[in-house]
Amino acid sequence: MSELKTEVKTMIIERLKLEGMTPDQIDDTAPLFGEGLGLDSIDALELVLGIEQHFGVKIEDEAAGLQAFKNVESLTAFIAEHRAA
Amino acid sequence: MNGEAIKAQLPHRYPFLLVDRILEREPGIRVVAEKLLTINEPYFQGHFAERPLLPGVLMLEMLAQAGGFLESGPLAGKAIFLAQVLDARFKAAAFPGDKLRLEVNPDASFGDLMRIQGTVSCDGRVLCTAKLVLKSAAGPEGVA
Repeated sequence: MSELKTEVKTMIIERLKLEGMTPDQIDDTAPLFGEGLGLDSIDALELVLGIEQHFGVKIEDEAAGLQAFKNVESLTAFIAEHRAA
Repeated sequence: MNGEAIKAQLPHRYPFLLVDRILEREPGIRVVAEKLLTINEPYFQGHFAERPLLPGVLMLEMLAQAGGFLESGPLAGKAIFLAQVLDARFKAAAFPGDKLRLEVNPDASFGDLMRIQGTVSCDGRVLCTAKLVLKSAAGPEGVA
């Protein structure tokens, strides 16, 4: 799980071009949007694409997506669950 | 689709309605539209007086407006906003008299955001390609 978490963080950094940031600087439970990492809805669209391309997991339902995007922990859990299915 | 049917779909009006005709329309999949450039376009007065050519940013606006026809419901009375421009390339200029073909298709969407891939071409020659993120929202009439 922790390996996948690092992979998720690396994907976020690469996809959103968070230059100079390393995976260990992203807190597992800090909010991705608004406070915390400070992402916006355009970043969310970019992450939807990144998750589909990198992990093969589609996020089609907005409500499920917003739940998954709460923080790295919830996003990793979402990817682990849907990737296995 | 042309004239009043276009105005029923988009909130844009003179001098900023930049789509003249819809040639193909499959909401959510693909739209092909046309914009006919005449020497009377207001921006040709100053861009440029000696050598009128279409401002590149207006090609992006044309693609955004064509993107409004990817929505299945009419946008009249709503707003459609440009949220992001990615990888815009201007390969050649457009001049008075040109018939521009605007092709757009979505490549992703989430919430009220839709990312589209667009191409402006004239007589089979590509003038501009770009990816745009459009945000549609209920509310007062707005710009794309």
